[in-house]
Amino acid sequence: MASSLHSQTHTNTMNGTSASAADPQSHISKKPRLHSPPQPLLITPSDILSEFSHHDPSIARINNGSFGCCPSSVLSAQQQLQLQWLQQPDDFYFNQLQSRILQSRNIIKDMINADHVDEVSIVDNATTAAAIVLQQIPWGFAEGRFHPGDAAVMLHCAYGAVKKSVEAYVTRAGGYVLEVPLPFPVNSLDEIVKDFRKALERGKQKGRRVRLAVIDHVTSMPSVVIPVKELVRICREEGVDQVFVDAAHGIGCVDVDMKQIGADFYTSNLHKWFFCPPSVAFLYCRRSTNNSDLHHPVVSHEYGNGLAIESAWIGTRDYSAQLVVPKVLEFINRFEGGIDGIKKRNHEAIVEMGEMLVKAWGTHLGCPPEMCSSMVMVGLASCLGISSDQDALKLRTYLRDKFGVEVPIYYRAPKDGEVGPVTGYARISYQVYNKVDDYYKFRDAINQLVHNAFTCASLPN
Amino acid sequence: MEHEDPRNGESSHRSSKKPKISSKFILESEIRDEFSHHQPRVARINNGSFGSCPGSVLAAQRQWQLRFLRQPDTFYFNTLRNGIIASRKILKDFINADHVDEVSLVDNATTAAAIVLQQIGRSFAEGKFQKNDTVLMLHCAFQAVKKSIQAYVSRAGGSVIEVRLPFPVNSEEEIISEFKKSIEKGKSNLRKIRLAIIDHITSMPSVVIPVKELVRICRAEGIEQVFVDAAHAIGSVKVDVKEVGADFYVSNLHKWFFCPPSVAFLYCKKSNISSDVHHPVVSHEYGNGLPIESSWIGTRDYSSQLVVPAVLEFVNLFEGGIDGIMKRNHDEVVKMGNMLAESWGTNLGSPPEMCAAMIMVGLPSRLSLNNEDDAARLRSHLRDCYEVEVPIFYQVSKDGEEGVRDKDGFITGYVRISHQVYNTLEDYEKLRDAINRLVEDGKTCKMLCIE
Repeated sequence: MASSLHSQTHTNTMNGTSASAADPQSHISKKPRLHSPPQPLLITPSDILSEFSHHDPSIARINNGSFGCCPSSVLSAQQQLQLQWLQQPDDFYFNQLQSRILQSRNIIKDMINADHVDEVSIVDNATTAAAIVLQQIPWGFAEGRFHPGDAAVMLHCAYGAVKKSVEAYVTRAGGYVLEVPLPFPVNSLDEIVKDFRKALERGKQKGRRVRLAVIDHVTSMPSVVIPVKELVRICREEGVDQVFVDAAHGIGCVDVDMKQIGADFYTSNLHKWFFCPPSVAFLYCRRSTNNSDLHHPVVSHEYGNGLAIESAWIGTRDYSAQLVVPKVLEFINRFEGGIDGIKKRNHEAIVEMGEMLVKAWGTHLGCPPEMCSSMVMVGLASCLGISSDQDALKLRTYLRDKFGVEVPIYYRAPKDGEVGPVTGYARISYQVYNKVDDYYKFRDAINQLVHNAFTCASLPN
Repeated sequence: MEHEDPRNGESSHRSSKKPKISSKFILESEIRDEFSHHQPRVARINNGSFGSCPGSVLAAQRQWQLRFLRQPDTFYFNTLRNGIIASRKILKDFINADHVDEVSLVDNATTAAAIVLQQIGRSFAEGKFQKNDTVLMLHCAFQAVKKSIQAYVSRAGGSVIEVRLPFPVNSEEEIISEFKKSIEKGKSNLRKIRLAIIDHITSMPSVVIPVKELVRICRAEGIEQVFVDAAHAIGSVKVDVKEVGADFYVSNLHKWFFCPPSVAFLYCKKSNISSDVHHPVVSHEYGNGLPIESSWIGTRDYSSQLVVPAVLEFVNLFEGGIDGIMKRNHDEVVKMGNMLAESWGTNLGSPPEMCAAMIMVGLPSRLSLNNEDDAARLRSHLRDCYEVEVPIFYQVSKDGEEGVRDKDGFITGYVRISHQVYNTLEDYEKLRDAINRLVEDGKTCKMLCIE
C-alpha cells in the first residue's frame, strides 16, 4: 500500500480526483501513525494499477460484467482467512466462521437498506439464489397449494441459467411459464413498462394465477437497466404472489434499495461489481408469512433454522469469499464517494466510451444512457455479418485470440421488415481498472476487420 | 536428485543448502514442511472432521486460482472444462468405475446427499412412489444426511427406518445381523423400501461398515436404490465402486485424499435413475448429465476440483503411494488407540479390522460424561487448555443393556482419534496426559471451564 507518511497529490483521471491538502502532522513525525483516526487518503491511479496487477496486461479486459474482478488487497485478506482455516479448522469452525458470516451479512443489510439481518442470506451466486427461490414452486404443487396451470413469469432475455432453473422447477412441476419479450434496442423506460404490463395481462387471461415473477434488474444479454420498482408495482397490482428480482449485476452497479424496490426476493452477486473474490452473493428475502419456507437445497444440520443460518453451513467448504466483505468496504472507501462515486464514474465512463465507439463505427447504442449502468450495448457494423449466436461466439473468440480484446457479443435476430439492421452488439463494461486504451484497442480491432472486409462466415466452426 | 561432485566446488544454485540425499520417498522433514501451515502446538488428531492439504497442493491450487483471476473468460472457455475432466478421469480409474460419465465432482458429501435425496423427493411428488414408501438409514448417519432425508423424503410423505447398530462393536457379523433384522422389520409392515443409505465409515461413532455385504443384502431384499455415504473413504480404505455395488457412492476428497476444501466425487452407476439426478443449482448445462451440470453451477472458485493431478503426485512421493499411506495410518491409529486405552484403563470401540485411519477410544468413566453438553465441554476444554483437537462422542446407553465398564463405572464417552501422515507420537501422548491429568485432578466434565 502507498505510504501514509507523505502527502500525495492526485492527478485528475477518470477515477481519481485531487486530494485534499496534505496533513501537516505527517511532516512532523516519522513514526507511522497507527493509532490516530485514519485520514481519508484517496486511492491513486498507481494504487489501482497495483491492486489489479494480476490481470493479464495484454488483454483489453472490457468484460467486467461476466466474471467481475477482485483487488489484490482483498485477495490477500482472503488468503489470510483461508490460512486461518487450514491452520486449525476446528477452531475456525467453532469460534470464527459464524460470527464472521454474520458480520458480512450485517454490512450487506446496511448497504441494501434491508430491515433486518435475518432477511439477508449469503450464497455462492445468483444462480444458487434462483434455485433457492424456485424450489418453492414444486413444493407448492406437491403440497396442493398450487394448481396445474399456475404460472411463473420471466423476461424473455432472462439469464440462461435462470431459464433452465425455471424449466427444472416450474415446468417440470406442472407450472406454466410466461416469457415477456422486451424490445431491443430500447428507447425509453416506458417501452419496457408497457410491454411488461401487456404481457402480464395477457398471461393472466383464463384466470391463470401467477405465483412468481422473475425480473432482472440489469439484464445480462442484451444488457439494459430495467425499471424494477415500476415492474414490481405492476406485479402487485396484477396480483402476482411473489416477485423475485434477479440483480446479478446489481450491487456496485445500480442503486440497490430493498425497501424502495419492494420485491419479495432480491439477489445480487458480490463478485461482479462489488470487488469480492469468486464467489459470493446475497439473497434478500423480505420477512413475511408468504415466504417463510425457503431452504438451501444443500441440507445440513442447520435445516429449519432459517435460510441465512442454513446457508452459513452447507458442509465443509471454503467460505472465505463470504468473509472478506469488511475488507471490500475498506477498499471501496478509498475511492471518492465510496461505492456511489465508483458507480457514477463507471457509468459516465461507459457512456463516453460507448458513444466514442458508435461514432467511430457509425452504429448506435442499444439503449439511452439513463438505461445503462456500467455496461452498455454497442452496435457492431452490419458488414461483419453476425447472423447467429454461433457467429457472435466465434467473433468473440476471434477478438480474444487475434486482438487481445475480451468482450461478449450479442446476436440480435432481425425483425420482419427491418432493412440492413444491426445484428450484433458488444456489451462493454467499465470498472475502476479500465483505461481509455482498452476501448481504443476494441475500436481499432473492429475498424481493421471492417477495413479487411472480414465477415463471420470466414471463421471456422 | 544426484550428488554434486565435490571436486567441482559448490554449485551456485545450492549455495547455502546441504546437498539433498537422493531419496525415493518423501522424508519426515519434507512432510513437516508440507504441513508447516498447521498450527504447531496443537495436537491435531482430528483429521476426520475437516481433513488436511499439503503445501504443494495448496500451491498448485493457487496457480489455478491465479489463472482464473488473470483472465477469467479465457479460463472459462479454454481451461476449466478440461481440468475438471482430467480430475474425473483420474478418479474414475482410482475407484474402478466403468465410465467417466459415472463420476461427478461436487462440493462435499452433504451436496451429494441432497442430489440423491432430491431425486427421491421428486419420485414422491410425481407419483412414482406412494405415501409411506420408505428410506432406510443408519441411526448414526451423519446429521446433515438425516436432515436431508427430513427435507426431501419425510416432507414428501415418505417414511424412514433407522437401523441401530451396536456400539461398541465386536465383529462385522453383529452389524450384518442387526441390519438384516431391521430390514425384515421394515418389510413386515408391507412398506416398500425405495432407498437404503449406508455409511461406508460412520462418523460418530466411527466404525468401518461391511458395505459390500450390506449392499448385497439390500439387493436380495429388493431395495431399489442403495446410496453409500463414504465421506471418509477415499484415502482411508480401498474404494472399488463396482465391488461395493451401490447405485450411488460419494466420498470427500478433502478429508483423507489431500485436496483443499472442498471437493467430493459422486459416483452414479449408469441406469435409468442415474439419468434423472440433477444438481440442485441449475445452470445452462441442465439436462446434460450430472457430471456436466456439476462442472458449472455459476461463477465460483472451482480450483479445488482441479488439483487432483497434483494430489496424485503428492501421494506418490510416499512409499506404496496411497495404499502405503492407508496402511501406515491404520497401523498407527490402532497402535495409538491401544496405547491410550491401556493408559486410561478403557477400551476400543471396535476391533482393529473394523477401523481405517480413525478409531474410537473409551474415556475413563470418572470423567462422568453424561450427555452431549458434557462431550462438547470436554472437547472445548481440551482445545483451549491442552491444545488437543479431538472430537468426543457421547454413548447413550440403551435401555436394559449392560454398557462397557472400566474399573470405576460405565464408559459413556469416546474420543475419535485420527492418524494422518503429519501426526506424531507426541500428539497422542498429549491427549493421553491431558485425560490422565483431568482424572488425577478429580475433574468431571461438568466442572470443566471453557473460554
